[in-house]
Amino acid sequence: MTRFWLFKLLRTLLTLWFVVTFTFIVLRTSGDPVVSLIGADALPEEIEQFREQWGLDQPLILQYLQYIVQMVSGNFGESLRDHRPVITIIAERLPWTLMLGLVAYLGAALVGIPAGIGAALRRGGAFDRAIMAFAVFGFALPNFFLGILLILLFSLWLQVLPSSGTGTIWHFVMPALTLSTFTAGTLARFTRSAMLEVLDKPYMRAAAAKGVPPVKRVLFHALPNAAIPIVTVIGLNIGHLIAGAIVIETVFAWPGIGRLLVTAVSSRDLAVVQALVLVIAATMVLSNLAVDLIYGLLDPRIRVGGR
Amino acid sequence: MLTRRLFNQMGLGGVALLASPVRKAWAAGERPTITIAVDNLWANIAPINGISTTTRRFFPNFYDHIIDRDYIADEQGLVLAPRLATEWTQNGKVWTIQLREGVKFHDGETMTAEDVAFTLSAERLWGEKPYEPRGKTFTAGFVRVEATGPLTVEIETEREDPYIPGKLTGYIGFIVPKKYYLEQGVDGFGQMPVGTGPYKVTKFRSGEVLEMEAFDEHWNGAPPAAKLIWKIIPEYAGRMAGLVSGEFDFIANIPTDQEAQLESYSDVSVKRALAGNYPAFAFNCRPDPEDNPLVDVNLRKAMVQAVDMDAIVTALFGDKTFHPAVPFNFPEYGKFYDPDMPNPLPYDQEAARALVAMTDYKGQVLDWHITRQFYPNYEAAAEIMVEMWRQVGINVRAVILDNFDLVYTRPYHMMNMSMSTDFIPGDPYQPLWLDWGPTSSRATATWKTWDPTPGYLEAGKVFAEATDFEERKAAYLKLSEEWQKVTPGFYLWKSIYNWAHRADITWAPRADGEMRMFDNYIALPA
Repeated sequence: MTRFWLFKLLRTLLTLWFVVTFTFIVLRTSGDPVVSLIGADALPEEIEQFREQWGLDQPLILQYLQYIVQMVSGNFGESLRDHRPVITIIAERLPWTLMLGLVAYLGAALVGIPAGIGAALRRGGAFDRAIMAFAVFGFALPNFFLGILLILLFSLWLQVLPSSGTGTIWHFVMPALTLSTFTAGTLARFTRSAMLEVLDKPYMRAAAAKGVPPVKRVLFHALPNAAIPIVTVIGLNIGHLIAGAIVIETVFAWPGIGRLLVTAVSSRDLAVVQALVLVIAATMVLSNLAVDLIYGLLDPRIRVGGR
Repeated sequence: MLTRRLFNQMGLGGVALLASPVRKAWAAGERPTITIAVDNLWANIAPINGISTTTRRFFPNFYDHIIDRDYIADEQGLVLAPRLATEWTQNGKVWTIQLREGVKFHDGETMTAEDVAFTLSAERLWGEKPYEPRGKTFTAGFVRVEATGPLTVEIETEREDPYIPGKLTGYIGFIVPKKYYLEQGVDGFGQMPVGTGPYKVTKFRSGEVLEMEAFDEHWNGAPPAAKLIWKIIPEYAGRMAGLVSGEFDFIANIPTDQEAQLESYSDVSVKRALAGNYPAFAFNCRPDPEDNPLVDVNLRKAMVQAVDMDAIVTALFGDKTFHPAVPFNFPEYGKFYDPDMPNPLPYDQEAARALVAMTDYKGQVLDWHITRQFYPNYEAAAEIMVEMWRQVGINVRAVILDNFDLVYTRPYHMMNMSMSTDFIPGDPYQPLWLDWGPTSSRATATWKTWDPTPGYLEAGKVFAEATDFEERKAAYLKLSEEWQKVTPGFYLWKSIYNWAHRADITWAPRADGEMRMFDNYIALPA
């Protein structure tokens, strides 16, 4: 078991190192950030001064080594754009993304999973078809389109919800709804198919024969057995929490790290982009680790097999 | 159909309105907070390092100019007015600036001649390693800036320069406090600046928000609003919905084709101003790439004659702006402007074909680097131009790129650009000489697109030194002629700045893009 976890940890660290290195090389070799950062009309001496100030005049390998040493000691550098520590900038923005993500994913789970279960229990019926139509709609509708549609409906026309930004609980409604629609659709589809797989299993028929009430059969017999694919989808979606927020945060001017990433990439703020890519990669990797752990809890065979 | 009334009857509207999430009310008798939704702020808001059309919107609310351009007295802003300087006099190469007494900075310090001298000093703008190197562009010819009294500053230039007061109406004229600036350093200052303007900066997050509070000790009295909040709302739909629903009081940067819709709302007022700026493109006149067909001036001139720019501008902007038929003959140049100046390269596809026939051009594809969505309607205009060029046998490929960094990456045959015209009010110095001259980035950067010709350089020297109007006008015409002989670029149209605001606010826009929330530029409802 210990070896199993050590192996997973090592793999995680290697993945993160690969991401850091890949991002560093791609960002440094895909163009000069100076023009984007100090303007198209910057004078040659201004460009030179900027490069010197930020160490961009050093050989690439030296820049890389300095960056790794700094990063290992918890220093992600300063933003080239606004000269503040990257950690501070991310710490200001991350809670907003997490809050929005939490609300959206809770909402998506509360709608998507019961809808998927309901659709499976009424397979082929009108309810099933209605739920699946909603799921396809949620799954297929681009986030930016739904977001703008909601702004036009609720802010411009009905004038009952704020169009953008933060400040009150009402500011959460449209971004969370937009973000959760896709996830709820995905969850409903996966839950339905996972439930359909287990509903016909012999142990379900045995439970029914023993007189176990339908609600108990679904919640305590079917759902735990169908949980593996659902947990996988939830894990993958949580991994996408930050990456998926990019569009939503731009449309709704939400001050999270998705929008920060857009600004940093467009202005080639190297230090911020590198740190954010690392945060996104870490979220992905950690959510995968958490899913592995939950697999073990849900299914003892996986736990035993992992020894 | 779901209507607003039905929605409210269902209770949903009532619940939402209970918390008043949308429309904000201004209490009678109290100074309000004005919220302005903008598409962008800027990374650094120090006066020179932060130069951009974006920062120009809000700079004068917290920085004061030494000398002001009065756009209310004159639509083109050609009237100069006292601001931090009360008078200015010239004696040969020396200008003496008399400063206003009792002006306070936001940190409580009193402004002195030392602060003004530092603002314009070699140490900050034009020395060996200045704090804000771009200042050199705007201080060419400065040899001495000195505080000669508590409220007197002298500026000495290499040659007699009658345009110093005009130059002080630009970015270099925003006064900074010497002590605070040096304590913070230019980067720190650019994150939390201190000026003498009617509002003081209280919060700045470059990717998010800029907040200012009223500075009641301002020399010209307390400003009308208690607070200004400049919020980034990247999506136009969000800005528009927020203005119509009452969340925002002002919005900036409206797509031209959306203006009519916004004007249809009775509680919204749309304002626009023709900016001192022209989107354009530069021809790469250099043999880099080696086989660049555009080194032949006839091909460049053919491309100019092949496009019906008036038709394109009318199609894209209606009558809101215009195409300047002759480069540098711009209406904002007052006495230099000649509305009847003949166009040496008018739209004429037959003439264009004849010019192409005089070249060795064999239909090679010419790459036109364009920054994605940077200049309104630029890509749309490019599509039409590409078709017009095709009609005379010239193949151009519009290559849309994500940022200027990529635009400046060789190889390319043409690239987008824009040029401002307002460095010296009423004088064509900036677009004609500063932006194309031997020290311009267009002639010196790694991505340079032309090498100024001996004829252009000679004419430019005469122009730069001319101080008498008639002499200067003749030099301007000669310099413009030399530029047109080469035709290293093509000016498309005069940019439009646009804004919209609550209809119960009275507000005067300015052609320099400044959004002034003070003085007689704004009147708030009682």
